[in-house]
Amino acid sequence: MLAKVGAERALQDVRKRKDMALSLRSASRQIWQTLSSIKTGVVLIILVVIFSAAGTVILQRPMTDSDDMQRAYSPAMLRFLDLTGLTDIFHTRWFIGMMILVSLSIIAASVQRFPNAWRYFARPYKSPDDSFRKVLPTQAQIVVTDEEQGLSAAERAFQHMGLKTERIVRTESFSLFSERSRISEMAVYIVHASLLLIFFGFIVDSLYGWRGFLMLSPGTASNQVEMKNGSMRTIPFAIRCDGTGEETYADGTPKRWWSKLAVVDGGREISRKEIVVNDPLVYQGLRFYQASYGRTGKLDQLILNANPANGTAGAPQEISLAMNQTVALDADTSVQLVEFIPDFVVQDGRVYARSKDVVNPAVHMIVTSKKANASVNVWLPEIPGVDENASSPYTFDPKDLKTGVFTGLQVSHEPGQWAVWAGVVLMAIGLTFVFYVVHMRFWVVPVVDARGRVALWIGGTANRNRDAFEHKFKRIVEQIQKELKLEPVASAQPQAASTAGR
Amino acid sequence: MARAKVEQHPATGTTMVVMVGLGIAFLLFIAFLNVVKSGNILSEANLLYAALVFYAGAGALYLGFGVTGTDAYIKFASLMTWAGLLANTGAVAHRWYEAGHPPFASIYEMLLSFVWTLAALTLIAEKRYGVKVIGTVTMPVAIVGVILMQLLPSEVRPLVPALQSTWLHVHVTLAMLAYAACALSFALAMMFLIQDKVKTEIFLAATSIFTVGIYAAVLTRFEKWGGFNVIAWDAENKAEVFVSRGVRLFVTIPDLGWLMLLVFAAVLTPLVLYVLSRVKKNEGLLAIADRAVFISILLQSLALVFFLVRVRSGQYPSLDAEGLYATSLSASPFILSALVGGIFANLLYLLLLWRRADLERLLPDADALDRITYKTICIAFPLLTLMIAAGAYWANRAWGSYWNWDPKETWAAITWLVYAGYLHMRITRGWRGRRAAYFAILGFAVVMFTFFGVTYLLPGLHAYA
Repeated sequence: MLAKVGAERALQDVRKRKDMALSLRSASRQIWQTLSSIKTGVVLIILVVIFSAAGTVILQRPMTDSDDMQRAYSPAMLRFLDLTGLTDIFHTRWFIGMMILVSLSIIAASVQRFPNAWRYFARPYKSPDDSFRKVLPTQAQIVVTDEEQGLSAAERAFQHMGLKTERIVRTESFSLFSERSRISEMAVYIVHASLLLIFFGFIVDSLYGWRGFLMLSPGTASNQVEMKNGSMRTIPFAIRCDGTGEETYADGTPKRWWSKLAVVDGGREISRKEIVVNDPLVYQGLRFYQASYGRTGKLDQLILNANPANGTAGAPQEISLAMNQTVALDADTSVQLVEFIPDFVVQDGRVYARSKDVVNPAVHMIVTSKKANASVNVWLPEIPGVDENASSPYTFDPKDLKTGVFTGLQVSHEPGQWAVWAGVVLMAIGLTFVFYVVHMRFWVVPVVDARGRVALWIGGTANRNRDAFEHKFKRIVEQIQKELKLEPVASAQPQAASTAGR
Repeated sequence: MARAKVEQHPATGTTMVVMVGLGIAFLLFIAFLNVVKSGNILSEANLLYAALVFYAGAGALYLGFGVTGTDAYIKFASLMTWAGLLANTGAVAHRWYEAGHPPFASIYEMLLSFVWTLAALTLIAEKRYGVKVIGTVTMPVAIVGVILMQLLPSEVRPLVPALQSTWLHVHVTLAMLAYAACALSFALAMMFLIQDKVKTEIFLAATSIFTVGIYAAVLTRFEKWGGFNVIAWDAENKAEVFVSRGVRLFVTIPDLGWLMLLVFAAVLTPLVLYVLSRVKKNEGLLAIADRAVFISILLQSLALVFFLVRVRSGQYPSLDAEGLYATSLSASPFILSALVGGIFANLLYLLLLWRRADLERLLPDADALDRITYKTICIAFPLLTLMIAAGAYWANRAWGSYWNWDPKETWAAITWLVYAGYLHMRITRGWRGRRAAYFAILGFAVVMFTFFGVTYLLPGLHAYA
């Protein structure tokens, strides 16, 4: 009794599992069907378009200053936009998820249709049967005296047109088959595969790629890259800047920014390159781009003429001062550069810096006289109330001011870009095949026409550009007739049966 | 019945010829005076002016065909287009020589290239595809382009570092070719709709909606007391006036707003009448709608003239700053093109209304136009693909990243998707005829937004053009 109940229950379990398996399978099949349908593809693409467009109209955080964002939207609106991710649409999970869904739908649609296309591609239809010949739209018939002669003439005609033919053996004779560019049937899969390759590269870069900024002054080296969120990233080697510069046009717009860079790996200098915009330095998958150039607002070198004032012994000389550097003017006097203000403004008898731009520079030097044991504060230009230039033993004429410069390098690591470029090249090839390479097929079959005469049935198909193909077909038929030196006979006589009885 | 009687053209054939002839002579005379003044015959400005004159002549002759139905006008219009293309080529060559690089670096230069490509493609379409009246659509676009160029700052600007790259030239050339092919496909799709016996009143509705849209956009500059806001212009520096970084200074031209509002009402009328005629099933209203279109053209021209006059003379107050400021047509290129574009669209509608039978006679049949549209898009799509790829490669070398979701890039991708959609629907779903034509028209609308809308309405890295 118990055994029976146990057995029944076991049977029920098995049935339940079978039902579940079936419904799971049918559920997964349904998902597959939906995913591979064109409608799904279209809906997904429309969604991508809508959200991408939204991303161009709504200000996006990665590209806009937060001040501008706050100026453009009310606080409540901005909170809402931030919450829904609309301020950084292209990096949200749901957008990336949508792109992945699009990829999946392309894969599903291709996989579903591929077996048929492959069958079509791998097994060429070389010998057309009766029913096929009956309904083919592009066909003609030419009466011939001798089957062998006719077929040879056709072969020569095709050769003349630049098409290769193949003899297909039938029961008692042979027919001709000529085809060109069968690959064209696969073209659309090449295009979609290339699209998937591009998406793959893009997704890899979104996940594993990064970009940062590196600022170097000439003579310095660094392996710290500043990321967009402010954090620093250490790279496995250092970049040293050996020089940088800018060329401008007459009106001041930049013409050329250049930097002489060197790669220092493990203490050794590996390579050097002078980079400009559009021509980066590449090493170990990291790319360094010339992005900007600017002045640090700090003094590099001050060159001036020092002239002894009345009553001072000594000769006029040209001296060069770096920050905090002391230079002896004569046995007794020395001068030290202590301050450099790029953009000075005076307030309440004190000198302040208004900005870092070298707009209105001022330098502060201290002239020390050992004998008199006195120091004089010299300011160039003279600042009334602050400077003591009158009591300085030397007067100074500024000759040249070299301020510090920096070069701004954009650093990027994008491992997926090779997939993207490969995809682009593949797509170019694929599109060329889709639009410009036509799969053409021709058949020439010896038949017996309605009046019992031996004739050549000629047929052809093309998978695109049908009107151009019709022209080509006509020319081939004319060429065959020329080879046969025959008059044209009536075209399409679908009732003719083949001599070989197939 | 009422619609068949719209033969009320204001001018006969000879009057039109005389008018066009006088107009061209007048314009060439002005050009001659300019040459005498500057002593320089083959300057770029003169060549461009000559191109404008010839394209305008061609456009006028195409429209003249609309008024008189004389086929010979089409032939002369074609010749004028050739002459215009010649002058345009001269201008391009001159610009290239002066600047030391192909004309691609500013919106002035890009318009120069675009107009040239449009004229060249028009002539190719006429010769190769036998679509002889395609100039009726492309010439007005070319004219708008050249007018815009007269207003934009045209100094040869030296190229900033990011623009000094061969990939730039490749990318921009591809863009110009692709967009011109898309423009052509738009013209062909329109012609298909004509040959496919789409009812003239549908064109009425479409033209009306388009013009209403234009004036709605123009009216965003309407100021409370009837003024019209335009951007102030600094004539000395030839640039817009800025209040602070990125914020432009607007001045208010008094009363112009009222005129724009009036014209808006005038262009809304045909649309309202069309809707009423559908609701009330009264065909007679359509005849009134057509007259309303004619009147709206006159009013639109009035608005254009007043706009030109007020903008070019006088200083105006601003709500954001003290004092009076001048403005210039260069500060409002979009308003100007919108006004001119609206007039042209309505004139083209009248051409269709008055000369539909002649057009149908001159154009290839619907099937052929459908196939030619498809073929044109088969050319445009690979060009679009390559353009995006070249742009991505250039961006990668210049800014370190091949895709930034910059508005121009994003909209270029959207354009690509729309045309990919067209091809899919055609190849996989067998969409032909009207549905395909509407899709092609949608595609071109997106192209126009990508080219113009993004530059002037949306911010981004693509600040160059």
